[in-house]
Amino acid sequence: MEAYIIAIAIITAIYVLLALGLNLQYGLTGLINFGHVGFFCVGAYTAALLSKHQISPLVTFPVAALLAALAAWPLGVVSLRLREDYFAIVSLGFSEVVRLVATSERWLTNGVQGISGIPKLMDGLVPRAAEPVAVLALLVAVNLGAILMMRRIASSPFGRVIEAIRDNEEAVKSLGKDPAGFKMKVLMLGAALAGVAGAFYAHYISFISPEQFVPLVTFQIWMAIIMGGVGRVSGALVGTLILMLFLEGSRFLRDIIPFIPDVEMASIRLGVVGVAIVLFTLYRPQGLMGDFTRR
Amino acid sequence: MRLEIESLTMAYGGLKVVDNLSFTMPAGDIVGVIGPNGAGKSTMFSIVTGFLVADAGDVRFRGETVTALSPVARAKSGMVRTFQVPREFSHLTVRENLLAAAPSQSGERLLDLFFRPSRVRAEEALLAKRVDELLEFLKLGKVAGISAGRLSGGQKKLLELGRALMTGAKLILLDEPFAGVNPVLIEEISQRILELNADGVGFLIIEHDLGALTRVVSTLHVMDRGCLIASGRPAEVLKDPVVRAAYLGGAS
Amino acid sequence: MTGFLELLVAGLNTGLVVGLAALAVTLVFGVARFANATTGDAMSLGAYAAFAGANVTGSLIVGSAIGVAAGALVGAASYLLVFRKLVERSAVTALLASIGIGLFIRAAIGLAFGHQQKTFQLPLVRPWRIFDIRIHPNDLNLALVAALALAVTFFVLHGTPIGRRMRAVADDLSLARVSGIAPARVMIALWLLAGAVTSVAGIMLGIKAVITPEMGWEMLLPAFAAAILGGIGHPVGAVVAGILLGTVQEMSTPFVGFTYKIAISFLVLLLALLLRPQGLFGRVAGAR
Repeated sequence: MEAYIIAIAIITAIYVLLALGLNLQYGLTGLINFGHVGFFCVGAYTAALLSKHQISPLVTFPVAALLAALAAWPLGVVSLRLREDYFAIVSLGFSEVVRLVATSERWLTNGVQGISGIPKLMDGLVPRAAEPVAVLALLVAVNLGAILMMRRIASSPFGRVIEAIRDNEEAVKSLGKDPAGFKMKVLMLGAALAGVAGAFYAHYISFISPEQFVPLVTFQIWMAIIMGGVGRVSGALVGTLILMLFLEGSRFLRDIIPFIPDVEMASIRLGVVGVAIVLFTLYRPQGLMGDFTRR
Repeated sequence: MRLEIESLTMAYGGLKVVDNLSFTMPAGDIVGVIGPNGAGKSTMFSIVTGFLVADAGDVRFRGETVTALSPVARAKSGMVRTFQVPREFSHLTVRENLLAAAPSQSGERLLDLFFRPSRVRAEEALLAKRVDELLEFLKLGKVAGISAGRLSGGQKKLLELGRALMTGAKLILLDEPFAGVNPVLIEEISQRILELNADGVGFLIIEHDLGALTRVVSTLHVMDRGCLIASGRPAEVLKDPVVRAAYLGGAS
Repeated sequence: MTGFLELLVAGLNTGLVVGLAALAVTLVFGVARFANATTGDAMSLGAYAAFAGANVTGSLIVGSAIGVAAGALVGAASYLLVFRKLVERSAVTALLASIGIGLFIRAAIGLAFGHQQKTFQLPLVRPWRIFDIRIHPNDLNLALVAALALAVTFFVLHGTPIGRRMRAVADDLSLARVSGIAPARVMIALWLLAGAVTSVAGIMLGIKAVITPEMGWEMLLPAFAAAILGGIGHPVGAVVAGILLGTVQEMSTPFVGFTYKIAISFLVLLLALLLRPQGLFGRVAGAR
């Protein structure tokens, strides 16, 4: 039972990093990023490949963050030239192309067969039995750092400008501030967080393959930030918790209703994510924790 | 901060919105632009500040041709505009709206934000003082902590003005700054405009409130259907029969 | 040379599927003013409904008719239940909602039919040999069906009062309202039409290839790319662009490999939006 809770907590902490990044991009800056899973994928594969060459996580994690951020750069360039719904579609295509590359470039990624045997993060540092707890502790620390960073940004002049961009980009330009640089930084920073999340994910799950990085993951994170309340750091946290409750709760549902095979469970989750997105866009776009307006 | 507009022309769907418009505004002047609705006044503002691209013509600011510059670049060079329909940052508080307008804040750079926190804090403190003073002047003190989206129309107009003032620009283009603002405050704002002008800030003002406008401007341009139909001192222009026919309806 | 021509024929077939899907996208984009991401999964729905119908009635034709009807109904339902309420909101909100609906449809299909791929029972016919090129009569039939669907659509748009009203709404919504055109009825007709066209595309795809819950989603990016390339709101443009794109995509397979086909659509989408947002046939209204 304990092991199960730790496992859930680890996945939750990973998802929180994804939600924090997306919240920075959409909640604070208004960028419609439908390709977030692409950065997650880049981070995961980077960490997986580098660690298979015995490179230390102290190096692989920053590299994963960096490569994910670099992957965001072309998307950032494009975002400046497109209106938001077109950018949304392009970002969706972007994450699919990332997945296609992972599927196709077998020499690098082993294609659909994926990369297995990714070493556990704390192997050798702590006794086998304590490894999950140690990883969780590290994740919690990273989460805290990320949350503090986000809060600092949100309450800073930088945060003011990106929220201003969200509210009225033309007015920001009229004040002599160029939205381009800010949007780019936000995309890259959010992507970097997703890259770190991907690195943790690869080590935790020890086997990654392209079909784990599908748009559904992106939209689960969207659901999380919508449910928790767009624009607030606390909203990203609450939303992720609700998401995890639902994702894991459905597992218990399967225990109660035993004749639902695994595959169907996936369909049910898919369906509930879809319905939840529709319901929230219809009835409560500002989520549970209130909208952008803080007062 | 001399502004020169030369032969600006812009057509929209076959209709000339701005038609071979030219005028020069000396540095440090206060100039008014009046005319009936649809005369092209706001369009001219947008072309001057770079938000719209004219089909022909040039804009020169401080002696340099800025026709090819982006709106951000022009604003940075010292030319700031307000919008006819206020564009407040609706989810930021009134105070934050004003804070956001101040230029060159180190807290807007991520590296400074995280590695030079004391400098950021010091700048914020100084800014806060400026903003408090401006809030008091604009009589927006009571709503300083409220989301700008919840303000009344007149309050939003004041906020627009406040933001422009925060930028420290040397040429401020105001688009109907007095609309929806009570007369006492209009008087105070006019006074403030004259004070700032004494310090070298130029103003180009679109307005329909002729009484208030004529008390501050030295020159008045009249536009109708994209053309400049009269220019000169307010008293003379307002007596011009062409102007009366086009805009003032013939009455005195 | 024969190989090339056969590839061309295969490409044209795919092109017709993409063209029909792009037509559905552009109809909705032009009149309802948002990118409808449900289109992909609605294609799958059409294929599955036709499959179920064909199994029950034993006739592919009847099954297809059922599939088309199902698609039309689902389209109208998505408007009445969801999109109608999002009219005042941004295009992104509707896009996001359409993604949600698509996920739901995919889930329902997975639950109802399972995830194993299925195929339509087609009569076994030997392919014809015309000038040494193998042409399957089924492909010709499909092309005919596609042409028929296009003909019906264009007839509705240009030859019926409701179609004229649709185009009026596409041109100017507020003006259309003011001149007394009842948008609600026009919209329902639009969504029925778009839904039907989407189903035809899905059924064609299912007949050509296999039927899986993901089949339609994989066509979404090409459909969007073609709709934008053809000029948003331009039915002819969408079809032409779709045929072009589908053909190019298929014919590129020997060069870029099977997986990267979709990447071509993405590239086209990106380039179109950045370089010529009004598409090949469109008027102004950029991507910014």
